Amino acid sequence: MDKIIKTLFTLSTFFLIWYLTVTLLRIPSYIFPNPAEVFGAMYENSLTIYSNSLITLKEAFLGFLIANLISVSIALGIAFNKNIENTIMPFAITLKTIPIIALTPLLVVWFGPGEYSKTATAALICFFPSLVNVLRGVKSLDRDLVVFFKAYSLSKIQLIKMLIIPSILPYLFAALKISSSLAIVGALVGEFIGTNKGLGFLIISNYYTLNTPYVFASIIASSLIGIIFYYAIHLVEKRIITWTVTID
Amino acid sequence: MVLIRVDNLEKYYSNSGLLAVKNLHFTIERGEFVSIVGPFGCGKTSILNLIGGITDNYKGSIRINNESPSEARKKRKIGYCFQKPNLLPWLNVLDNVLLPQKIANIREDNGKAIELLKMVGLRDCQSMKPYNLSGGMQQLVSITRSLILDPEILLLDEPLSSIDEINRSKMQLKLLEIHKRTKKTTVMITHSINEAVFLSDKIIVLTPRPAKVKKIVNITFLQRNERTFFSKKFINYLKIIKKELKNGQNN
Repeated sequence: MDKIIKTLFTLSTFFLIWYLTVTLLRIPSYIFPNPAEVFGAMYENSLTIYSNSLITLKEAFLGFLIANLISVSIALGIAFNKNIENTIMPFAITLKTIPIIALTPLLVVWFGPGEYSKTATAALICFFPSLVNVLRGVKSLDRDLVVFFKAYSLSKIQLIKMLIIPSILPYLFAALKISSSLAIVGALVGEFIGTNKGLGFLIISNYYTLNTPYVFASIIASSLIGIIFYYAIHLVEKRIITWTVTID
Repeated sequence: MVLIRVDNLEKYYSNSGLLAVKNLHFTIERGEFVSIVGPFGCGKTSILNLIGGITDNYKGSIRINNESPSEARKKRKIGYCFQKPNLLPWLNVLDNVLLPQKIANIREDNGKAIELLKMVGLRDCQSMKPYNLSGGMQQLVSITRSLILDPEILLLDEPLSSIDEINRSKMQLKLLEIHKRTKKTTVMITHSINEAVFLSDKIIVLTPRPAKVKKIVNITFLQRNERTFFSKKFINYLKIIKKELKNGQNN
């Protein structure tokens, strides 16, 4: 209860400072709207924002899923064959160095203006951080445990199921948390080009008409879905990983 | 009856190419508790890994009841307990004990696992996670796990090395009790001569690397009170082994 009161107090103070600054400095609404205007725009367009949030969330979630499945598969491959790392990592690093915004038009050309290109953008932005984290997990496997399992003639499938997957779970959840927010960014960037759906589209189309309160409302909505996505993963992690030590 | 026969064993370290073991001969009888002692880095763990079929690529012969170590390992005739307890932190004590059965695709026998945990005094800890146990308790779980498949041989690689002195004495008693009750042929590596004399029926003293047998000392305590750190016989065995180790190093 104390925590909720503190959070509410912090938020109220933040909005009050925002409101007073914008009002006292007489900043026009199209440059920086006050909180009342933003929430007004949010309320008026709540249905549109809600339906477009779902579209963005779906694209982000699919991209997030694809990126993490691919990175886990590659990391598992590397666990058994180190040559895969030497082959894949140069490509992965090159891909990471290309700004995602530069690839977005190409993705629209390749996957069409629909949801697929946005999902691909989300997947691309999530892939590298996820791969690096999961790979760290695979490389941190306890050598003594591997020898123990070897002593009991464990098959490769058993090794993956009984040792590697549980061992890399803390790293995998770190990867999932990082990529959850990145996936939303990827989907939003993807929606800036060649579409008429999603929060990214709402942001860019209202920016063109200088409807800044609506832009703010869409940004807050995208932020909210990012937070929900992150905490959903955090909750699952807390339920599954009970053996790591945390400093309270 | 001889259970393990090692003849003319020679082993090179695969990464450095150094000769680890040379011309090694010894036999171990069924039901014996045998300790292998020797200077640091003389190849004790290599010998244990060879007997356990974890490492191969050696010259000479190792036979376990007329089978090769890897055959014996595949037939689950060997139980392992390493220096580190190697418990899976995401499993509770009972599931850790049952792990070898799970790996072997054998129906998990909870009753047997609980019985073994009872034997080592950890029955009440079956649903606890390893991080809730002390180092000694974790090592006891590891020993219990090595017994779950009812192996013929138990290989212990310095199982008590990371345990403090007071708990170590308790654990030695526990090991002695486990050996008496299960009658498993046990091969243990240790750096503690006291521990070796206290627990073993036979001690194999090795030379510095490349390891060869310097001396095999048979330990017999006719009376119960002789198996104490202060008995004349006990001290005498200590002296013999220390002398052999020293001679080996001087040579």
